[in-house]
Amino acid sequence: MIINLAKCIGCQACTVACKFQNNVPDGQYRTKTPSSALKGTYPNVSQYFIKEACQMCQNAPCVSVCPTKASHYNEDGVVLVDVDKCVGCKYCMTACPYDARFLNKATGAVEKCTFCYELKVSKGEKPACVSTCVGGALIFGDLNDPASEASQFLAKHKGEARKPELGTHPDVYYIYEGVVK
Amino acid sequence: MDITWGASVNEIAWGGIIAFYLFLAGIAGGAFLTASLTELFSKKQYPNVIRSGAYIAPVTIIIGLGLLVVDLGRPLTFWKLLLNVNFGSVMSIGVFIISAFSALAVVYAYLVWSAAAAKKQIKLASADEKLTALPEVVATSESQGLQVLRKPVAILGALFSVGTATYTGFLLSAVTTSNFWHTPLLGIEAIPFLPILFLVSATSTGIAATLIGAGNSRDLTSYKKIDMVLIILELVLISVLYLSVDPIFFTGSMALPFWFGVVAIGLVLPLLLSIYSIMKHKNVILPVSGLVIIGGLCLRYFVVYTGQLFR
Repeated sequence: MIINLAKCIGCQACTVACKFQNNVPDGQYRTKTPSSALKGTYPNVSQYFIKEACQMCQNAPCVSVCPTKASHYNEDGVVLVDVDKCVGCKYCMTACPYDARFLNKATGAVEKCTFCYELKVSKGEKPACVSTCVGGALIFGDLNDPASEASQFLAKHKGEARKPELGTHPDVYYIYEGVVK
Repeated sequence: MDITWGASVNEIAWGGIIAFYLFLAGIAGGAFLTASLTELFSKKQYPNVIRSGAYIAPVTIIIGLGLLVVDLGRPLTFWKLLLNVNFGSVMSIGVFIISAFSALAVVYAYLVWSAAAAKKQIKLASADEKLTALPEVVATSESQGLQVLRKPVAILGALFSVGTATYTGFLLSAVTTSNFWHTPLLGIEAIPFLPILFLVSATSTGIAATLIGAGNSRDLTSYKKIDMVLIILELVLISVLYLSVDPIFFTGSMALPFWFGVVAIGLVLPLLLSIYSIMKHKNVILPVSGLVIIGGLCLRYFVVYTGQLFR
């Protein structure tokens, strides 16, 4: 997934769509889009919104620490949680540097963004947040396929991963072009 | 918190319950180590120390495991930890180390208890000459047969108690994304810091708990000296830790548990008291042990929280 920050207007349609799609309990979020701190003085005032969710790391710390293999990669390399195997030990939550995971109040299992894999992506559709995005800030596709929209976009723009120093190799890229970091 | 405009705060996944569990697992490991090593290597007899350590270990580890299960999001599914194994996960390996340790601790406590009970019965029997104590003799010889296991259980248990104590450190140090937990010893990437610190603290608090349980029955000077050496060692380790990580970890809400709890109550005060007691030949086992134990709890609390608060 590519998040083109300059196009995000902070409308929270993604936040709401995710809650609709995934039946996430009240007060909990698989994705949220908080604002950055307001910076600068007139005329150089800046603020932007940054969508947060699972970064779908290729070297995911949550997967390696999970004692029951509930956190795993599926055949497409998407990081998922097998609710049946999860005992709710929260080890993965201590390991995730992106605060992407939470303990579902209703099930007691750990939960996070799935890219809407089962409900949407496996049927050839886009994740709920992407298809609802008002500003067109979210681009979804297979980064291993050079012909995909996501790959094409990333080839032309500089994508940055969050906290690259941790070596988690996220599959979610942020494009800061047009925003003041 | 307002999810759009509020500043995002690092959430705490593991709180006080986990800190207390790590603390109890440390005491259990340390107490078992104290009892078993005394039995295996001490020339002097310390029956009260062996009994105290042997009883404290299973009680604390079982309470600790209970807390661990209660802290799960789905406590009733804890058995899945035994079925679904991930050898790449420190916690998964730890489940088996701690299970084995708990079993050995229970067996050892039973052996120590039954030997002590048999001794009492023999005493009673010989005191009352008319009672030839037939059933007691049978019971005694039966439990005597089991006593063959005592040494192997003590040896194996000692290994697993070291495993349990270091595991509590490895559990945290394996989280490579937490700068504090993942801190290596003196910058040597291959040697994680927390397992060493927790092993020292576990032994120290384990001895302290065992001494409290043993009462003042016999001269325990050698234990006091060992505990003093461990306190000094821990003080050195804490200084190394302080110098090798970002100072932010010791600030804010963590300043009090660290400076007051870990350093003052847990290390400096008991050290000064121990030195005073050796110089003045005063008995201060209870206050020193009490302070060491409180300090051990503060250490787990501090480490568990600060590793999650600042990252």
